[in-house]
Amino acid sequence: MKKKVLLASILLGVLILCPMGVFAAETTQTASVPIWLCIPFAGLLLCIAIMPLVKGEWWENHQPHAVIFWILTMVIPFAIYYGAGQTVETVLECTVNDYLTFIILLFGLFCVSGNITMEGDFAGSPRINVGLLAFGTILASCIGTTGASMLMVRPVLKMNSWRKRKAHIMVFFIFLVSNMGGILTPIGDPPLLMGFMRGVPFFWSLRLFPVLLFNMVILLFIFYHVDKRMYRRDIAEGRKPDISRPGTRFSIDGLHNLIFLVMIVGAVILSGVLPGMAAFQDSAGNVLGIHIFGDVVLSFPSLIEIIIILAAAFLSFKTTSKDIRTRNHFTWGAIREVAVLFIGIFITMQPALMLLQQIGPNLGLNQPYQLFWATGALSSFLDNTPTYLVFLTTAGTLGFTSGIATSLGTVPVHLLSAISCGAVFMGANTYIGNAPNFMVKSISDENGVNMPSFFGYMLWSVGILVPVFLLDTLIFFL
Amino acid sequence: MQENKEKCMELAKRIYNLDEEVYSCVGSSLGRSFTGNKESTIQNLCSLMLAKPGGHLLRSELALISNMARTIKDKTKRAQMMAEYDSILKEIESLPDTFGKVDIMDLSRAELNPTARKKLSENDHLVICISRTQGSAGNDIGFELADDLHINYYDVEIFNQVLTRLEAEKGSVNDTETEHFEDFDKYRKRNFNLKKWFREFNRYHGLPRQDAVFFNMSDLICSLAKTEDCVIMGRCADAILTNNHIPHLSLFISAPFSLRVQRIMASKNMDLRHASRFLKQMDRQHKKYYDFYSYGRWGHPENYDLCINSANYGIRETIDLIERLINRQKIQNH
Repeated sequence: MKKKVLLASILLGVLILCPMGVFAAETTQTASVPIWLCIPFAGLLLCIAIMPLVKGEWWENHQPHAVIFWILTMVIPFAIYYGAGQTVETVLECTVNDYLTFIILLFGLFCVSGNITMEGDFAGSPRINVGLLAFGTILASCIGTTGASMLMVRPVLKMNSWRKRKAHIMVFFIFLVSNMGGILTPIGDPPLLMGFMRGVPFFWSLRLFPVLLFNMVILLFIFYHVDKRMYRRDIAEGRKPDISRPGTRFSIDGLHNLIFLVMIVGAVILSGVLPGMAAFQDSAGNVLGIHIFGDVVLSFPSLIEIIIILAAAFLSFKTTSKDIRTRNHFTWGAIREVAVLFIGIFITMQPALMLLQQIGPNLGLNQPYQLFWATGALSSFLDNTPTYLVFLTTAGTLGFTSGIATSLGTVPVHLLSAISCGAVFMGANTYIGNAPNFMVKSISDENGVNMPSFFGYMLWSVGILVPVFLLDTLIFFL
Repeated sequence: MQENKEKCMELAKRIYNLDEEVYSCVGSSLGRSFTGNKESTIQNLCSLMLAKPGGHLLRSELALISNMARTIKDKTKRAQMMAEYDSILKEIESLPDTFGKVDIMDLSRAELNPTARKKLSENDHLVICISRTQGSAGNDIGFELADDLHINYYDVEIFNQVLTRLEAEKGSVNDTETEHFEDFDKYRKRNFNLKKWFREFNRYHGLPRQDAVFFNMSDLICSLAKTEDCVIMGRCADAILTNNHIPHLSLFISAPFSLRVQRIMASKNMDLRHASRFLKQMDRQHKKYYDFYSYGRWGHPENYDLCINSANYGIRETIDLIERLINRQKIQNH
């Protein structure tokens, strides 16, 4: 066991550090962010990956302490290297402008979706599950990957509650609903919203439907066969759903919460639209907001987004019976875990992002397949929004004259497609690649699903997603 | 050995009860950790402990309960559940790694065997499950055996009639569709009819019709096996009864292909080519059905109590052979 953990640690360390080491080696002349500042980020990721396996109970009780430890191991050397002022600014910048809106969106969707429950006696079978995943994937583009994940995860768990083998269902759920489904609109996934704020037309991403459809067909085909196999094994062990009642009963309680869900989606759209409006800009074109420290400003559009989301969550709680939450097994465990871990991830990944911003444009990436894999590989471990922006900026500075006109320059369609797909799709590669991944894992863990470990999940993603991405490269990005 | 088994059984019951209580405290409707029926789950947990106490499989199963228990809002209840969980864990850890002498016996299966050394209780019925290859005279043997023993005989047609009647009693069936064994082919293209699809979707809770029929059939087989002595032909009855821990005797009857072909040619008035094709097709369908619902075990000797080549004995002598097997057990019993 120890050997396995050691090997896994080395592998993850190599995976995370090597690309940066290579990038750093290529740009030793210009790089001023020391690579060793990324060690706390790698350390935190290793903790998330390994601690549940070796010291599960300890990890559960001491997650906040471990996160504080890794934040300090990043902040103190950072302060020594860059000075206290810049450190405070960096930490506040990512906490206020990235983490705060991120966690509040997640919180709002978590609360609202927890107040909607499905009652019925559909029995989870391969074809029902394929239908649910396909529906969830398309829904993700309408209400965002996080919204769709939170809304769909409980019905999927409930319908499959009669089964023993259901971890694979949640793994494919993460692949499709929590990640890939977000590709069609800027509401789907934050990187695309960022692109929309930089001038990419709202409906441009609909062009990526063939890529999504291709991936959906392959993944759902694989899923159907994997699920059928597991379903057969469940049946062979004597498990069977309760189908004694003639006909199928189906109802949804707390349906009025869809209004609050729409409110949250509206808030997200507003956060993308308002910064471009003159009323929210000063004379220099900067977005107005509350000054916090140094250059850190909590913009008014973000504030409006936060207020609307919190109001939606509050109203949702006030207007929904507690009984619905009880039936949904609504607990704060999942959101608490994500909130704790992701504050650590957001802060400790800053040096890695700074390094990426510094060396990204100098990497010489100018082919769609290069941008697809570079954006994707980094989005698997880093926040996909800044990763998307770095490579969008890179593509915008290549000097192309035809394509999508953005505030960062004209980006050819094939490059923008590759960056968008890389950022959105490859968030599914790890549990930390996208926030809903972890939420789905936590909720599943609490509801009788034996979810794979961090590395166990990566075996699924490397075994299934990477070949699909290779096919994507051959068909769409060469 | 027996003492250890009793201890494991008691622990398994405690685990099941703990899961039940945790789920009830949580108040969720998303499904508990152990969703199978009580008896089977306890038996499976017990087997897991007997096979490898403290093994990772058992630990994973238990971890699911603790995950849920930690979300109980009432602190006193949570502490109570976690204390019981810890106490169970400690007892599992204290179990010895191996029990008794090394035997080839599968304890959980042997207990269900009416001819095994462990005797059945008075409440158990004599249930004989017969799987067979087409043309091996399995149906004739089963029918005559039931006749000899004065017990009921069930084959696919009888099951379908009973199921249709039961469904009609529930008021859910207007048409009298039955799932003929010959129709079972999960991969065959059928003419798609949207209206029919929706009707079946609603009627069978979103499950494919074959699967829903199988589940209903499973319930029927279990209910029969618990209430009467009978001979059950095919329908994965042996696998179903094993899963539900109902004692039974499982037999597989076959014969050389050439002899089966001859029999089919004579009984169905077919030529060699047609008889041969018919046999292969029927065997394939038997296998496909059995393999689909019991995960690939049709015709494998290790899955049956007794495999008989009916060609070596003939119909009458095969029946006598089975009766001798049962009678011997009866004699020993008395």
